[in-house]
Amino acid sequence: MTTSTETTPIEKPKRNYNILFGLTLLALLVLLWIALSLATPSFASGINIANLLRQGSMIAILAVGQTFVIITGGIDLSVGAIVGFCTVIVAMLINAGFPVWLAVLATLALGVAIGLFHGFGIVKMGLPPFIITLATLTSLRGIGLLMTNGNSISIKNDAFSEFSRNSFLGVPNLFWMVILVAIPAYIFLHHSRWGRYLFSVGSNAEASRLSGVNVNRTIYLAYTLSALCAAFVGVLLASRIGIGNPTQAEGWELQAIASSVIGGTSLFGAIGSVHGPLLGAFILATINNGANLLNVNSFWQRIITGALIIVIVYFDGLRRRGK
Amino acid sequence: MILSTLDGHDHPAPDAAVPGQPILELKGLEKKYIGTHALKPVDLAFKVGEIHAIVGENGAGKSTLIKLLTGVIPRTSGEVFWDGKPVALATPNEAIALGINAVHQEVVLCRHLTVAANMFLGEEDTRFGMLQGRTMVQRAQKIIDDLGFNLPAHVMLGDLTIGQQQLIAAARATIRGTRFLIFDEPTAYLTRKETEQLFALIRRLEAEGVTIVYISHRMEEVFELASRVSVLRDGTLVGTRNIAETDDAELVRMMINRSIEQIYHKDHFEPGETIVGAKNLSGKGFEDVSLSVRAGEIVGLYGLIGAGRSEFVLTLYGREKKSAGEIFWNGKPANIRNEHDAMKLGMALAPESRRDQGLCLNLSVGTNLNLPIYKRISSKLLISGAQEKSHAERQIGGLRIKTAGRHALASSLSGGNQQKIVIGKWLNHGAKLFIFDEPTVGVDVGTKAEIYRLFSTLLSKGAGIILISSYLPEVYELADTLHVFRRGRLVASHAHGQASHEEVLTEAIGV
Repeated sequence: MTTSTETTPIEKPKRNYNILFGLTLLALLVLLWIALSLATPSFASGINIANLLRQGSMIAILAVGQTFVIITGGIDLSVGAIVGFCTVIVAMLINAGFPVWLAVLATLALGVAIGLFHGFGIVKMGLPPFIITLATLTSLRGIGLLMTNGNSISIKNDAFSEFSRNSFLGVPNLFWMVILVAIPAYIFLHHSRWGRYLFSVGSNAEASRLSGVNVNRTIYLAYTLSALCAAFVGVLLASRIGIGNPTQAEGWELQAIASSVIGGTSLFGAIGSVHGPLLGAFILATINNGANLLNVNSFWQRIITGALIIVIVYFDGLRRRGK
Repeated sequence: MILSTLDGHDHPAPDAAVPGQPILELKGLEKKYIGTHALKPVDLAFKVGEIHAIVGENGAGKSTLIKLLTGVIPRTSGEVFWDGKPVALATPNEAIALGINAVHQEVVLCRHLTVAANMFLGEEDTRFGMLQGRTMVQRAQKIIDDLGFNLPAHVMLGDLTIGQQQLIAAARATIRGTRFLIFDEPTAYLTRKETEQLFALIRRLEAEGVTIVYISHRMEEVFELASRVSVLRDGTLVGTRNIAETDDAELVRMMINRSIEQIYHKDHFEPGETIVGAKNLSGKGFEDVSLSVRAGEIVGLYGLIGAGRSEFVLTLYGREKKSAGEIFWNGKPANIRNEHDAMKLGMALAPESRRDQGLCLNLSVGTNLNLPIYKRISSKLLISGAQEKSHAERQIGGLRIKTAGRHALASSLSGGNQQKIVIGKWLNHGAKLFIFDEPTVGVDVGTKAEIYRLFSTLLSKGAGIILISSYLPEVYELADTLHVFRRGRLVASHAHGQASHEEVLTEAIGV
């Protein structure tokens, strides 16, 4: 056979690419921490580190859910609004006397329902993901404001309110929640067939369909998981600030997308991981925290974040194209 | 030139070229891709003011030639002379600057702009930087009327029929100082009347000294229009004839590869039970098709591109909805609602376009090979890593897929090896009926032979095969039963070797 005797130089497989990129991000994060510890004595204090972890945790969870959606080639703009809306729902349920576990479960179920609605809009109504999630973004804020009349609802349950402020084994509870989400998310994305289908749909939906993959169900799944993560963050936020307020978490969807993209997720789909967005979220949190400690004008924080997105994604693209 | 004065533009007046003198000369023009020799060295001279037809089967190298002449792709070697001077033709802009234009089979214009805006796209009339919309519409209307097309210039291009859009595309090409105009199957979507209008335009350009290259499958058009005709086959220029000195029998003979190579290796098996049957099946793009496939046989579907073959198999596979008729599986009526149902019955489809339908290019070879079977190799939730590995490596080894490993991206492989992945994933799945839609497009000869040998292996295991190909020797040699499609209908069926190449081609073209 002619073809088997030919010796064509063959490209090295890029199997370790994900891990390598993750290590680069981790190095960047550690570098930031070292630099900030040297620059300001208050950075390395236990209180500040705990604070930093709390700040980053909620965006990190949102970013994981967002990443599932982006891998399929979609986008979920509604997550910030879902967070705000769910603080209201969980606050109302608790104040109405429901046990906390039931209030939390009901709120998570609501998240699932919102995600299914997104899937319905995309699959059955043929709406672009950008549009359907943009629509829920504005309407959920509106519904929340209607329900609260624009006021905040104070949560009358101390145990619930303390959860987000407390620590376990010296680590803030909120960060434990990140781990609680990240481990199943990792197994789901990289070791289950549904995770594999997210990638294949994002890479080529038609080829997946012709290979027997249920493309519609995969899309439902991605948006449901993203909304579920957002509802969970809503519960955590309500616990942290002790109130329900529909205008909370304004712009968090963009921070979640930014974290995901900094973490190496491709907005064209089919490329992404779980550790990437987590690292991305904590890099962003570190920049904000460091800038606060260094008394950098908060307007500058936004500019730095924007520049960082451009730089990281540009270098990531260079490496992907040119190896 | 009449047309260039007519549109009021000051295009450089073409040099007073003498009719009959060569305008564009090709010397040893050649194009190689990795693994395929798309165009073997061609020597050809196009003369000023002639209509030169180019005919050949699909994959004969016509598109490659057009792309070289219009600067879309660079040549591998050879020289091109324009008006006696060597030119690089490295970019589309260079070709356009020389006066070389093309009207493609598919309209490549903006559907959401007006007819006038499309005609002057890139050369808009402006005053102080503002678009002169009304002037452009008037000028465009004048050009259209002058050509006798009877179409409005102010409507959206997308509101016209495909045929009318084609006429606009042709009109657009004439107003840009064009001296060399290529028509690629321009009449594929035209009505008879539109075709006449287009021919009138072509003759008028000819009279003005524009050189026309006319590519078509339709023999009657070639004989109606052209003064000379060149035949391409397998990337080789077989010959050029004056139209008066040839006939369609000779051209068809030249188009067909006589030397059937050893690669069409075929073992014969005794056909078994009927696996699948279609009875009066109709759907989008085809009508009233009845055929069946038995275990151990290859059923070939031949026809020109767009004859309805791919639509037929996609409907069989549940991807498209049938509008009438019935599908039988193992003799029983089958209700195939989607691809999943088809797979469960035991069908496998290697689709026409690897890039668009066959592969997830930016995922790994291993993932692609396992895509149809993840359900089987997963326990409840988790994928079995060991099984994923063994299934992938079995196919990589068995099909000799040339790859750095199962973790390499599918996009890093050559076309032939990518095709092997598409086939390999269905071998992993296992099936009774394999549908191969153009399995050897862009595949080198060695891989072709391997794919054909694989067909025999499948048949020996009792599977049936539907083979779609636009390359006649392939289906002709391999198929036990050959069905010919034309314009959405099954027009003829032959047992292996029963009809000649000429007959089959004639049935497909419909001369």
